[in-house]
Amino acid sequence: MTGYRRKEMLWSLLFITPPVLGFLIFGLAPLISSLGLSFMSWDMMSPAKFIGLDNFGKLAQDEKFYKSMYNTFYLLLGIPLGMIAAMALALMMNRPLKGVSLFRTIYYIPVISPIIAVSLLWQWLLNYDYGIINEFIWKIFGVQGPNWLGDPNWVKPSFLLMGLWGGVGGTMVLYLAGLQGISSSYYEAAEVDGAKRWHQFRFITLPLLSPIHFFVVVMGVIGTFQSFSQMYILAADGGPEYSGATIVYYIFQEAFKYFNMGFASSVAWVLGVIIFILTLIQFRFSKRWVYQD
Amino acid sequence: MVLKSKWSAVSLALVLVSGMGLSACSGNGGGAPAPSGEASSPSPTSGAASPKADSKSEIEFMGWGGDSEKAVFQKLIDAYMKEHPDKKVKYTVVPSGEYYQKLDTLIAAKKTPDVFYAGGAHFNKLASSGLLLNMDPYLEGNQTIDPDNVWKQGLDRYRYDGKTVGQGSLYGLPKDVGPWALAYNKDLFDKAGLPYPSAKAGEYTWDDMIADAKKLTTANARGKIDTFGVAAYSTESAVWANGGDWIDYKTGKVTIDTPEFAQAMQFVADLSLVHKVSPSPDDEKAQNGYARFVAGKVAMFPMGPWDQPGFWNVPFKWDIAAWPASPNTGKTATWLGSLGFVVSKSTKHPEDAFALASYLSLDRESQKQNYELGQAVPNLVDMAKGEFLQMDKAPQSRQVFLDIIEDYGRPPIEVNSKSVKWIDTFWQDASQVWTGKKTAAEFVKEEQPKLQKIYDEDNK
Repeated sequence: MTGYRRKEMLWSLLFITPPVLGFLIFGLAPLISSLGLSFMSWDMMSPAKFIGLDNFGKLAQDEKFYKSMYNTFYLLLGIPLGMIAAMALALMMNRPLKGVSLFRTIYYIPVISPIIAVSLLWQWLLNYDYGIINEFIWKIFGVQGPNWLGDPNWVKPSFLLMGLWGGVGGTMVLYLAGLQGISSSYYEAAEVDGAKRWHQFRFITLPLLSPIHFFVVVMGVIGTFQSFSQMYILAADGGPEYSGATIVYYIFQEAFKYFNMGFASSVAWVLGVIIFILTLIQFRFSKRWVYQD
Repeated sequence: MVLKSKWSAVSLALVLVSGMGLSACSGNGGGAPAPSGEASSPSPTSGAASPKADSKSEIEFMGWGGDSEKAVFQKLIDAYMKEHPDKKVKYTVVPSGEYYQKLDTLIAAKKTPDVFYAGGAHFNKLASSGLLLNMDPYLEGNQTIDPDNVWKQGLDRYRYDGKTVGQGSLYGLPKDVGPWALAYNKDLFDKAGLPYPSAKAGEYTWDDMIADAKKLTTANARGKIDTFGVAAYSTESAVWANGGDWIDYKTGKVTIDTPEFAQAMQFVADLSLVHKVSPSPDDEKAQNGYARFVAGKVAMFPMGPWDQPGFWNVPFKWDIAAWPASPNTGKTATWLGSLGFVVSKSTKHPEDAFALASYLSLDRESQKQNYELGQAVPNLVDMAKGEFLQMDKAPQSRQVFLDIIEDYGRPPIEVNSKSVKWIDTFWQDASQVWTGKKTAAEFVKEEQPKLQKIYDEDNK
């Protein structure tokens, strides 16, 4: 019996070794070294120097840090917008329409399209002079559309628009799954009680979708804080007046353009702590509004 | 589906942080000229040092470039290995955007290639970190290289005396020198009945250029400007011609807040804002100056020698002129770019590495091929002043390239910086002047302390 148990133990250890090793080497080790680096000055060439909290002091005074932080928070607006659009779509797609699976596919395509290719496409769509969007605005309203990617005030709305287009399909699928999980008996009961469609939506659909809302918000916040690729393609060097740079873009520039590895690590840790705190807050509040069955 | 515990939030946040540094992988690279077209098979001749006799070695050589540049270098290296059968060269090409990331990672991992490209601020950083091989002893002990036949301005770019770049011992050999010249569309000048701008420095001034550009700028039927007089006018040229500069490297003081500087910057901004002879930043966003020039919609546009192959295909006649001189000083200026071959200090085969670098930099056959492909001005002075000037392809006034090298070309601003962040910040913020939100005088006054702080932080 003990021999058998030991053998089983051995096997189980063998099975968990690869992921554990993977985590230790590619997860924990960089994590710890980046924490160490955040207190150092290192350009990858000369030996690293310990400089205490200087990186954090420099960070607190860096205009670009605040700008990129503001930009990132601004982009959080995309989450509620995306949720509303996705929910509306999901409600429409949840009905027995002809060719509904075709529509579902169409809305899902942006989700699986490579972000670099999509960004390059949007660059053309958003072109000030020749873009199809401004052409459309001109034809319909007879006014010149905004300089989407060239005007500091329009860069972020452009990103929101792109994000909406790219993300709505994925969220829609989540909401569809949520909608199909709601038992029809609730609606029948409500109908018997005389509830109108709006009331059914307001008091049954919306609250019963709350685990989905919660999931979308949490993942959305994390995703927004990590956004990088669109900015890298569409806002070269941070865009006009650094209006398009996100916090990860800022980290990237410091680390891989100016090779301030220590400083970049300290920004990464500040970002990590912010995401951590935001996520904790969300979990704390979730008890008040998320319905778990 | 929903994350249940506090700890999953903790670990999520942590995983994010650790993934962050790795997730992004490419950056903005310097502009290395990428040769195009077919290369004739080169045969090594004198002009370069020969490697140590009777010993085997393997040299790692790392560079960047597109497929055509890779093909040219591979051919050169094959010819080199054929001549020296016991010397192996391992050639690695990295996409230009990732080059310095890869290089710095290799250096940090102590796997520095033996011979590699370096230029500008990065050369400064490498030299000042003591990572490069001092080439002086190898150059002195060599009979076949004639340093006087290499552009002094090209060699000086790779000298370092422990403090500044430009003097001292030699730590690299030029891959090329890149004079930034001003090209013009002859057909548009003919159509407007204007004489061509002078190829001699100092004869054609800012005022002449504005007057010409006004005549060259035309609108289309809808009233939108269709052809511009000038595009992408070099701010460096204007500032230096006017007697200003970004920085005094001797004292480390950022000097953008001088009247000469502000005046020159305003002149560049006004080309679009006041005179409407140059595309505005909005116009540039829609279609950049390069695309407009090759489409025949811009009369004057800057170019480097590496632009020649692209411009050989345009459907109009063109030539290059001297940069317009500032009316205040009567002088002109522009920048002279360069990229170099450097050797790692930790190489196991310094003689062989130096021999390879000098072969790549100075071999007559490869230099000839390079200029015939329209890639560069030869590094060898006698070749540049001889057959290169005689070449029967545009631009006709090739002498302008040589004038810039010998006379009024200056090293780019970054050459004595270790980090270019302060310069990048300047260009980012300068958009406020180009769009007319601020005057140049207001801008430079506000910007100087900011740049000074960044420069001091990164270049101590």
